[in-house]
Amino acid sequence: MASNPVEYLPGKQPHPREHRMIFRNVDRAGWDASIDTYLNDGGYEMAKKALKMERQDIINEVKASGLRGRGGAGFPTGVKWGFIPPTNTKPVYLICNADESEPGTFKDRYILHQDPHQLIEGMIISAFAVKANLAYIYIREEFPHAATIVEKAIAEAKNKGFLGKAIFGSDFDLEIYVHRGAGAYICGEETGLIESLEGKRPYPRIKPPYFPAALGLYMSPTIVNNVESLCHVKHILQMGGAEYAKLGTPNNTGTRILCVSGDVQKPGYYEVQVGKVTMGEVINDLCGGLKPGRTLKAIIPGGSSAKVLKADETYKLKDGRELTIWDIPMDFDTMAACGSMAGSGGVMIMDDSRSMAWVINNLNKFYQHESCGQCTPCREGSPWMAKISDRIIAGNASPDDVDMLEQVANQIEGKTICAFGEAASWPTQSFVRKFRDEIKSMTKADLAGRIVNEETKLAVAGLEA
Amino acid sequence: MSQDISPSTAFIDGKPFLFQSGETILNVVDRHLGRGHVPTLCDAPQLEPYGACRVCSVEVALQDGGPRRVVASCHTPMAPGMHIFTETQKVRRLRKNIVELVLTDHPLDCLTCEVNGNCELQTVAAKVGIRKVRYPEGENHLDRKKDLSHPYMTSDLSKCINCSRCVRACDEIQGQHVLSMHGRGFNARIIKGMDTTFEESPCVSCGACSQACPTSAISDVFMSKSIEATNKTRTVCTYCGVGCNLTVATKGNEVLSIQAPVDAEVNHAHTCLKGRFAFKFYNHKDRLRKPLIRQPDGAFKEATWDEAYEHIVTNLKRIIAANGPQAVAGISSARCTNEENYLMQKFIRHVVGTNNIDCCARVCHSPTAWGMQKSFGTGAATNSFEDIGYTKCIMVIGANPTEGHPVTGARLKQAVMKGTPLIVIDPRRIEIVPYAKYHLQLRPGTNVALLNMMARFILDEGLVKKDFVEKRCENWEEFEAGLRSLDMDALEKITGVDKELVRAAAIEYASSEAAMSFHGLGVTEHEQGAKTVMLISNLAMMTGNIGRPGVGVNPLRGQNNVQGAADMGCQPHQGAGYFEMNDIQVQKRYSEFYGTNTPSEPGWKIPQMFDNAIAGNLKALWLMGEDVVQTDPDAHHVRHAMDSLEFLVVQEIFMTETAKYADVILPAASFLEKSGTFTNAERRVQRVNAAVKPLEGTKPDGQIMCEIIQRFGHPQADYTPDGVLAEIAQIVPFFKGATWENLGEQGKQWPIREGGVDTQIMHVEQFARGKGHFHFFNWQESTELKTNGTEFPFILTTGRILEHYNCGTMTRRTGNSEIVAKDLLAINPADARAKSINTGDTVKLFSARGEVELEASVTDEVKPGILYTTFHFPENMVNNVTGQGCDADTLCPEYKVVAADIVKVS
Ligand SMILES: Cc1cc2nc3c(=O)[nH]c(=O)nc-3n(C[C@H](O)[C@H](O)[C@H](O)COP(=O)(O)O)c2cc1C
Ligand code: SF4
Ligand code: SF4
Ligand code: SF4
Ligand code: SF4
Ligand code: FES
Repeated sequence: MASNPVEYLPGKQPHPREHRMIFRNVDRAGWDASIDTYLNDGGYEMAKKALKMERQDIINEVKASGLRGRGGAGFPTGVKWGFIPPTNTKPVYLICNADESEPGTFKDRYILHQDPHQLIEGMIISAFAVKANLAYIYIREEFPHAATIVEKAIAEAKNKGFLGKAIFGSDFDLEIYVHRGAGAYICGEETGLIESLEGKRPYPRIKPPYFPAALGLYMSPTIVNNVESLCHVKHILQMGGAEYAKLGTPNNTGTRILCVSGDVQKPGYYEVQVGKVTMGEVINDLCGGLKPGRTLKAIIPGGSSAKVLKADETYKLKDGRELTIWDIPMDFDTMAACGSMAGSGGVMIMDDSRSMAWVINNLNKFYQHESCGQCTPCREGSPWMAKISDRIIAGNASPDDVDMLEQVANQIEGKTICAFGEAASWPTQSFVRKFRDEIKSMTKADLAGRIVNEETKLAVAGLEA
Repeated sequence: MSQDISPSTAFIDGKPFLFQSGETILNVVDRHLGRGHVPTLCDAPQLEPYGACRVCSVEVALQDGGPRRVVASCHTPMAPGMHIFTETQKVRRLRKNIVELVLTDHPLDCLTCEVNGNCELQTVAAKVGIRKVRYPEGENHLDRKKDLSHPYMTSDLSKCINCSRCVRACDEIQGQHVLSMHGRGFNARIIKGMDTTFEESPCVSCGACSQACPTSAISDVFMSKSIEATNKTRTVCTYCGVGCNLTVATKGNEVLSIQAPVDAEVNHAHTCLKGRFAFKFYNHKDRLRKPLIRQPDGAFKEATWDEAYEHIVTNLKRIIAANGPQAVAGISSARCTNEENYLMQKFIRHVVGTNNIDCCARVCHSPTAWGMQKSFGTGAATNSFEDIGYTKCIMVIGANPTEGHPVTGARLKQAVMKGTPLIVIDPRRIEIVPYAKYHLQLRPGTNVALLNMMARFILDEGLVKKDFVEKRCENWEEFEAGLRSLDMDALEKITGVDKELVRAAAIEYASSEAAMSFHGLGVTEHEQGAKTVMLISNLAMMTGNIGRPGVGVNPLRGQNNVQGAADMGCQPHQGAGYFEMNDIQVQKRYSEFYGTNTPSEPGWKIPQMFDNAIAGNLKALWLMGEDVVQTDPDAHHVRHAMDSLEFLVVQEIFMTETAKYADVILPAASFLEKSGTFTNAERRVQRVNAAVKPLEGTKPDGQIMCEIIQRFGHPQADYTPDGVLAEIAQIVPFFKGATWENLGEQGKQWPIREGGVDTQIMHVEQFARGKGHFHFFNWQESTELKTNGTEFPFILTTGRILEHYNCGTMTRRTGNSEIVAKDLLAINPADARAKSINTGDTVKLFSARGEVELEASVTDEVKPGILYTTFHFPENMVNNVTGQGCDADTLCPEYKVVAADIVKVS
């Protein structure tokens, strides 16, 4: 890759604390999504290189890089690839998860819009490594423009012989198809996505037995990776796994894109080395601080499913560190140790102007709307959470309702087919636990013990702690 | 604490239990502690694990004292050393909460609900400790409308708990994909088709969804899940050779409803609409309830049984005395039990003393019995339905399994949807064709040509399993020479199927690890029917597809007991147990056994009986449950034969077209009112148990036969199913080990050896006849087409549909006739255009024999030049048109090739 200095569009200069790698070409001056531009910049060299490598060597590089999935769960990518049964005789599929629908997350779309060839190159390398001759990019329904751009990019690559039969003159065949999403959040859950790709309702599959690496698309081994994760693969090959692992911090390697939204001066995307900036630096340096005269109240650090962090909390970690919310490094492990997760990189900042009851109601409504309805705790529980928090913000709730809200969440978490159950209940549980008093203050004490309506009555009967 | 944990031990609530690898936690709990110990809502034994309701949650620790996790037991595999906790505080609370949540959206009318007392939601609610449910106001789905549009299926989705069992039943069992979940989250709801009613949807009313639904949300008009019934009887369906087991719910002497037993090996909780719903004929007002004797003035007069028997005995004895026993003949029915068929042939052969005994297998699978005997030594399916699960390639020839043998059809469809390649050889684009990898859409009457092409391609491609052929078969050289003499281009023209397509299909079949063929009447009901059967056998032998799981030659039997009727000796040339009647040793054995002289003169097959009646040689005919006028070809000829008889006895449940010609009609009982055995298409002898007493005034056919034998002065015990079966076991070698007791609920597949050991796969070590015999035949154009093809340029082929059975006497008297009320004539659009015919028009269909009027259905399921119709309705009498052509070896009528023409009437 040519390493001439990169110019950015006026007003779109990356912050000096950023480390642009995946977003190197986002907002770049003179840049467009065409293959020529990409090739002029040294594109597809890594794909060519990969096809001359041993598959296992590529997988080893990815393992050595320590890359963890950027789609939400942070699972090590190389390890995931290794789950394909060694005795497999069925075709292997690679799926790029471009359903990006976690509230607060808006990174993949920039890659799709502005740098589709980076993704395609990452996918060629990954597909080759896992022996997939067919790959899909599952693009969120609400991204029609992105789908057009990526389809055009695929056609360009095919024209050049980078996709199709015997690509780059090797004996490796690869087709990539764009599949338009079905317009639901659950389509981003990997087994829901696979069902959707098969043309069915995106009902997530039960695991066991349907672990995608063994029984995925068309009951064949399937690797599902996030857009950003697949782009990293290209850079791992370029730098070598060991060198890549020097970016970021141990076990939290590389860079990642933070999508900051909410009550800061400059919300937006920032690519940083994992764990090399703290939450405080994100707010104060990257985002130019809170809004004037405001104080921090809460942060959802990793997409709407992540548990909320409260501004005045301190976190005592096992390794002896004691952190305030400002000190938390933006990585996977510390964020988990602080009781939340880095998730998909969506950081939502809330200042003292925000009502926590309103926030949780907003989230409850999202999850109520998006529950696929397959399993009972989530299908029935999500609307209940929304109903109860509706009542709270309408001022019709009793203080008991707040506890009940938490209890409903407790009965969903860990008891469902897919991780949506956690995604729906973690916010509720954490908001209620951490802001119980504030939320209770919106209820009417004189309603205490009073059954507001028959529904509540039933719920009280059934939902004792 | 150290414990010896063998690889297959796990602990449930502290106690060790054994399990097999692959079992889920729920499987193990169910087996050891009983179904219901862990409550379930979305799980059903006939469905794949689904994991949606989560009430089956249990706590699991991977080892003693290890950390516990809540998992759904229905889809989590049991692992060695696991500790399962089924009743912790945590899971109890979870279950209770889930059920409470479900109940917030469920109506309050348990006491008036049709499934009250047998509702899984009710049971689970009680089990998890919800004693009183207070019902909420507010957001719910209680206002959903009932769907009562369909003759059988009903829904009241206000009672739906979104467990998706119905959807999965429709997908996983029937494969019809009618039901789906629409909308998401709280708004998710069951829809039929494109959100329509059962009536308008593509539902085939198999009832699998209604049986699977844990509540009354989807049910049927007979309320089969209610606890109304006072008794349940397990028996076997009478409507086709699949032989589905049924559970008949009765109250007093009335049948209320039918369900399918979940443990039935044949049908695993499944039936088609005939088995489950088409039972109302049994006490229909049209049922014959009194013996009838024709008076000199031609009218029927009611009589007592004694009078009727007296009349019969006098007349038969008179005719025998005057003309000898050869002037008498009997035709038994494949709808009747083994015992009844056995007794009928015993009566005709060993009491009357003639080999003039035949059965309706003549008009369907006699070529199969004949052909497979020639090739293998036994005229029966080589393998079992279960093998569909093991086969790697399915070939369906001249059969329409999803309509004719619906439960097997559904099983085939499931296998094919899971990826087993399917080859269909059929002139029509039948329902299963869209799932097939190859459809060889040949011209009717060219089976031999097509199968020869396949065999030749297998030879050319070097795919013959030489060692199998050498070790296990004979006469290969002649067959090979025959194949080498074929002119493939000529055959391509004859069949109208692209050579390359035939080659590809042949390669698929021959190179498969295990290929299984199924055939039906599209193979047998041809001039070269038996030859075609032998060619199918050739394909199996040359590719080594015999004697292993997932292979073989498997006739799909039309009627429920076609197999049994032939086994019991209802064929002129072979007695009970397939002994050749012209063999002196055989005659001797029978004579000793029955204590009478065994006839040595060859008997007549059905068409010969008709001819001899017209010629005046046959004077008396006894029909047990056969409507030959409506179902045998060339109805004019059959009527003429009936008219020519001196004496006709008909044992029937309804006044059929044939019964109208009778001198004596004996009112018989239906399958719901009798006990005995049926043998299904996989040689499985199954117990038929009377669910209700015979209708007042009627008698089961077996009893009638016993009484008539007694009245002829021959020693004969009164009818008992076990007694007659014991007699059969003494004379039929392959029934040797069968007793009423040991047949049990699942039946046994013959040969049944002493001790009751049965046989799933035949010809494992060697063929029944020693070596498998190859036969070569050249294709010949049907005489019918050669004679009449120019004058009547269309080829008419006939068959049956899902909703009706045979002459329709039974199904037409049930809700099935609301679903399909007439026979339709399928015409290709090109032909229809040329003749200005539109769907719905009345057209005249005519042939050298006669004409009928039918409603046209313009469809490309038939190729140009081909017509297709069914024969279920007497109003239509399609057999006025069909011809005298028949299989050269067995005289099985050529229903599948008729030279015909059409003209628009209105
Ligand atoms: C409810 C739900 C929604 C999800 N949505 C997305 C999504 O939009 N994009 C995504 O990449 N991963 C999403 N995931 C995570 C995927 O299931 C999967 O873990 C991920 O695509 C794997 O990629 P990675 O290993 O590269 O992170 C979602 C998970 C859940 C439970
Ligand atoms: S947890 Fe929710 S989203 Fe996931 S399968 Fe169950 S109902 Fe669907
Ligand atoms: S009756 Fe059978 S075909 Fe009809 S919806 Fe139910 S399962 Fe499907
Ligand atoms: S109709 Fe019955 S089986 Fe179908 S989802 Fe509803 S409750 Fe379950
Ligand atoms: S498939 Fe055959 S045996 Fe089974 S229910 Fe239907 S008609 Fe009866
Ligand atoms: S029975 Fe296991 S989840 Fe429903």
